[in-house]
Order: sequence, then C-alpha cells, then structure tokens
Amino acid sequence: MNKNYIILAILFIILAGGYFLLPERENIKQMKPEDLMRDIVQTSRYVTTDQVAEMIIEGDPTLELIDVRNEYDYFEYSLPNAINIPMDSILVEEYQDYLGIEDMNVVFFSNDDILADQVWVIAKRMGYGSLYVMEGGLNCWISTIIKPEAPQETASKEAIELYDFRMGASMYFTGSDISTPSEEGAKPVTVKRKKKGSVAEGGC
Amino acid sequence: MGPLIPQGLIAGGWDFVIALLLGIAFGFILEASGFSSSRNIAGVFYGYNFVVLRVFFTAVLVCMVGLMYFHYMGWIDYNLIYVLPTFPQPMILGAVIMGFGFISAGFCPGTSYTAMAIGKIDGFVFTAGLFLGIFIFSEAFPLFEDFYYKGNMGNITIGEFLGISNQLVTFIFVIVALVAFYVTWLIEKRVRKTITPFKFE
Repeated sequence: MNKNYIILAILFIILAGGYFLLPERENIKQMKPEDLMRDIVQTSRYVTTDQVAEMIIEGDPTLELIDVRNEYDYFEYSLPNAINIPMDSILVEEYQDYLGIEDMNVVFFSNDDILADQVWVIAKRMGYGSLYVMEGGLNCWISTIIKPEAPQETASKEAIELYDFRMGASMYFTGSDISTPSEEGAKPVTVKRKKKGSVAEGGC
Repeated sequence: MGPLIPQGLIAGGWDFVIALLLGIAFGFILEASGFSSSRNIAGVFYGYNFVVLRVFFTAVLVCMVGLMYFHYMGWIDYNLIYVLPTFPQPMILGAVIMGFGFISAGFCPGTSYTAMAIGKIDGFVFTAGLFLGIFIFSEAFPLFEDFYYKGNMGNITIGEFLGISNQLVTFIFVIVALVAFYVTWLIEKRVRKTITPFKFE
C-alpha cells in the first residue's frame, strides 16, 4: 500500500481523535461592546404602549410579549398572551426557544421599563435580534391604555384622536362599556385649571 | 462568524454566484478524479474500482473534520447550517433507484455532466434521460406525493438521532471510512487478479 495513504489515514485519526483532547472552548455569540453601546444609546428599541395595544387588538402574529417580572406578579396581572420569563431565568435553556424566532418581534415589559431594559441588554448580548422594550412598562400601560387621561378641550386634534383610540383600547382590554353620563345623574362639569400643563400623550 | 449567508455577512443574492463557482470546482474535481468514465463508476459494483467510494468518503471526512474544527475555533456555527429533513422510506427507495441508474448507466447526475463536458456520447444520452425522468416524475408527482413525504423525521442529524455528540460521530465515521478504504483495497486487489485488466482512459 502506498505510504502516503497510511500517513493520511493516521492524520485523519489524529485530527478526529485529537478533538476530544482539546480543552473546552465556549463560543460565545456575544456582540462587540461598541455595537452594544450603539444599540443602547439608540431609543429605537422602545415601543409605546399605544403601539403594543394596537398590535394586540389587530392580532399581529409577529408580536411576542414577554413579561420579565416574577411569576407572582405575572399571575396578578399581565398583558394578553404574554409569556412569563422572569429576569433571573432569561439564561435558562428551556426559555431560549422563545427568543430569536424568525420574523417575531419580542417585546419585553415589566412594571416600569428598567427591568425590561436590563433583560433587553442580556438578550442582545446573547445575540438575539428583533428585541424591543415597552416604554414605561405596565405602569404606563395602566395610565395610558386602561385609564387614559382625557386631554384638555384645547388639545390638538392628534391628542384627541389618540385619546379616542385609548378609550377604545381600554374598552377592548377591560371589557368596560362607554361611560355615557345619564341624563338624571349628570353633574355639571366644572372645569378645573391644572397648575401644571400635563403632556397628553406618553409621558412615561 | 459563519455560515456567511445566514449570518448576513454575505447578501443572499450571492447564492447563485457562489453556487456557480462551487459547481465549477466540483465538476473539475469530478473530472480530475476520473468520474467522467462510467467504467470507474460502475467498477464499485463489480469490485474492480472503488475510486467513487474513496473520493466521496474522503470529501465527507475532510468536510466533517474541517467543520468540527471550524466550529471549535468559532469560525462557523454548525447549529445554523441547514440540515435537510430525513424521510427514511422514500430515501431508501430513491437510493435503490439511484443505484440502479448508477450500475446500468455508469453515471450519477453530476458525473454525466462531466462526461458531457468532455464530449462523451453516453454522457449526452444519460443527461437526456435524466431530464426525461425529471419531466415524468414532475408530471406524475401527485401519484407519489403521499409516499414522497412519508415518515418525516425532521431536520435531524445522526448525532441527534443516536443521542451522541457530533465529534463522536465524526470519529466513528473516520474509523469506518478508513476500514472501508482498506477492505475495498483488498477486494480490488483480489478482483483485479481474476479479471482481464484494462487500461483506464
């Protein structure tokens, strides 16, 4: 038999067998610090509660809501169809299937947006894409969608339209009826001037 | 880093350009290995020439070992490589048909093109038959459709199926291939003694 064949055969055995002798090496798919910093500085990861409400109402199939609060809070109150992945479990193997699904937009949320932001950074470092944070979290959700604040009469058309949308969304999520003041029980509306001008939309 | 297209390092539109370059290289290697000769190919079935087995096994070994080290170095993530789904029964039948074509015509689809490229008439005839077969199959596909998709095991690899690591699969495969090289070398030596030798082109 040709000597070269024997040398090649030995080489293959060494290469294939040698792999087992190599030290463990973990290929971490984390992003570069510069890229991470650029993404953190950008605010494009934030989605407003209005956008989230609209996507839920429209039944957007690409929306994946992830509640990063603890299990107790999740069962107390959460958004419809939200998945609960508590912050301390984000690295757990069984939850990885929920992240990085093709064409899905993952929206993290918590009570405010601090915890969700932290989870966003971790998931980003893990190499997942299409990650968003619900701006203002559930506190903002309550104050804008569930109990929207009526704009002033002098508010812009956009602010009134937004309020109408929020009222509709509120009905959608709470199941409440339109509160039409009854003729008898109608109280005279006293317009109170607020000390500080409040911003009609957002503000969380 | 890799694979390059799924990771977005190369735009998806380059698929065809890369495929063309790889195709040229593949055709060149096939021809250089003597695969444009149907005698070389059919020789596997008669036991006088196992060049097909050696070339393809070597290609697989280089690929497996290379991929393993590329993964180790972090140059490629083999979890992102597309794995074709496995359909055992249709694949076995397909392999039998392919083997039948191999032994009767002395070509597989790729090698028939290399034979055609160097002007062999049997290569042209085989290729014409190949297209005719594709046409008949496509037209009659609804008849086979149920069987065609039978027993889908999904995008499974040998390692996943057996529950062992890809590294162990590679090692076992290397040993099996080397044993196969040696055994076929012995068979070749024995068979060639008993048949009238001929000169390969």
